[in-house]
Amino acid sequence: MKGWIEKYLSVIRMTWIQTLEYKANTIVGAFAIFSGLAIEFLIWKQVFQAQGATEIRGFTFNGLIAYIFLCMIVGQLKSSWATSIEMIESIRTGELNKYLIRPVSFFTYHFMMFVGHNSLFYIVYTTILILFPILLPGFAFMTSLHVGGFIAAVLLSIYLSYAIYYCMVCFAFWFGEVRSLVIAYNISNIVLSGQIIPLRLFPDTARDIIYLTPLQFLVDFPVSIATNQLPLELWLPKMAAAFAWCVVMTLAGAAIYRAGIRVYGGFGA
Amino acid sequence: MEFKANFLGGLFVDVIFYGIQFFFFSVIYSYVDAIGVFTREDVMIFLIVTFLTDTLYMFFFAGNLFNLNRWMVRGDLDFFLLKPVASQFLVSFRYIKSYAVVSLVILTMLLFSRIALYSQPVPLLNWAAFVISLGLGWIVWYGVEFIVSTSCFWFKNFSVSGWLSHEILKFSTRPDSIYTGLFRKVLFSAIPMILIASIPTRTLLYGPDINYMGWQLFIAIIFLVNSRIIWRKGLIRYESASS
Repeated sequence: MKGWIEKYLSVIRMTWIQTLEYKANTIVGAFAIFSGLAIEFLIWKQVFQAQGATEIRGFTFNGLIAYIFLCMIVGQLKSSWATSIEMIESIRTGELNKYLIRPVSFFTYHFMMFVGHNSLFYIVYTTILILFPILLPGFAFMTSLHVGGFIAAVLLSIYLSYAIYYCMVCFAFWFGEVRSLVIAYNISNIVLSGQIIPLRLFPDTARDIIYLTPLQFLVDFPVSIATNQLPLELWLPKMAAAFAWCVVMTLAGAAIYRAGIRVYGGFGA
Repeated sequence: MEFKANFLGGLFVDVIFYGIQFFFFSVIYSYVDAIGVFTREDVMIFLIVTFLTDTLYMFFFAGNLFNLNRWMVRGDLDFFLLKPVASQFLVSFRYIKSYAVVSLVILTMLLFSRIALYSQPVPLLNWAAFVISLGLGWIVWYGVEFIVSTSCFWFKNFSVSGWLSHEILKFSTRPDSIYTGLFRKVLFSAIPMILIASIPTRTLLYGPDINYMGWQLFIAIIFLVNSRIIWRKGLIRYESASS
């Protein structure tokens, strides 16, 4: 077990070193959050002004902006472009062979890379999150229980997100152009997981459909905990549901991988 | 056209992107009748114009400018510089994204159908001015993207330039009436995102405005000239594959 942990921690370490080389990623990432937030701020300001409303579906203007701000941060923590594209390429070009002949799991290795790549974001955003209750007091992290619940939900979200990516990536064993699937998923995920509009503001039918999928656990769930939008009694059932989705997606990914590896030619799919 | 899966994949991504943008605004407009002057039907046309500009951009430049950093780092830029053609022209127009043609046709049809259903008549003059305004917006976009891409000459390896320009361009995908004060002025001048889709849409729906279009022309020229200057300065710093 110790050897297993050391092996995969070294992957994270290696990716950290690699990621720290490219600090521009963090700067652009932070710009993405603040520019996105600026746009949302301006749109919702217009909506609140036009309606003359102080509250929309339980959200005050400041509460909504704080919510979207947190959503954008969580959305970036669980997103994976680099790792999933690299995994697809390794299947397409036959580089996957190096995982097959070594005692390294393709799934775990890339999960560690995924964590490593996003680590720079984790550091920057953790700082922002620590400052959050000071900058926007009363909108999030009211008690340490909320902090703990948020961390647990974010960890589940990161794992679940990776497991979903893994399932999509494994289709590269059969199809040449899986990148489009991942890109389309990323684009739709920005809206459908509640990253720029809270799920609570969606039309009822759309929201009911999303609640049948794991998308609600990627962004909306952790942020709802942090902002006290989710009643305490629902935390555990929702955590259990998120955990169940993690198990389902992990098993699905493993099944697709096993089926895929049978058709894999070793020279690129 | 050699890569059919790539072609279909690109189309698939476009369809998802359009669908998500429409969905986003349909949620926003379920809470409001108009954002500034843009009513729900105006915004739907604004979105089609945004997609048209984006598709035109993808068709001509996406296969080129996105790769500029890689070409510079690997030294592949040498092959462009050696040819007896203006190097900026070649790195901008060398490859095209063929799948964009299909999107272009669909979006044009969609625009015509939306305008046919529009509550006000849209005269021919608006259409003529719209085409010019759209072209100018497209040139502004090219200028911004090219300047961001060429920053790789100074940063040595600026692989996130595509991401950065995407984030800047996000401002052009929202109707200009949400921007006010100093921010609006910045988006009209230093980062002229309002000129890309909002002004063409205004031109089409509300008629040509000589001030807006004159300003668009001025900014388009400024950005085009700047892109030329920055390209030349960047080439002086280029050290082939060791860059």
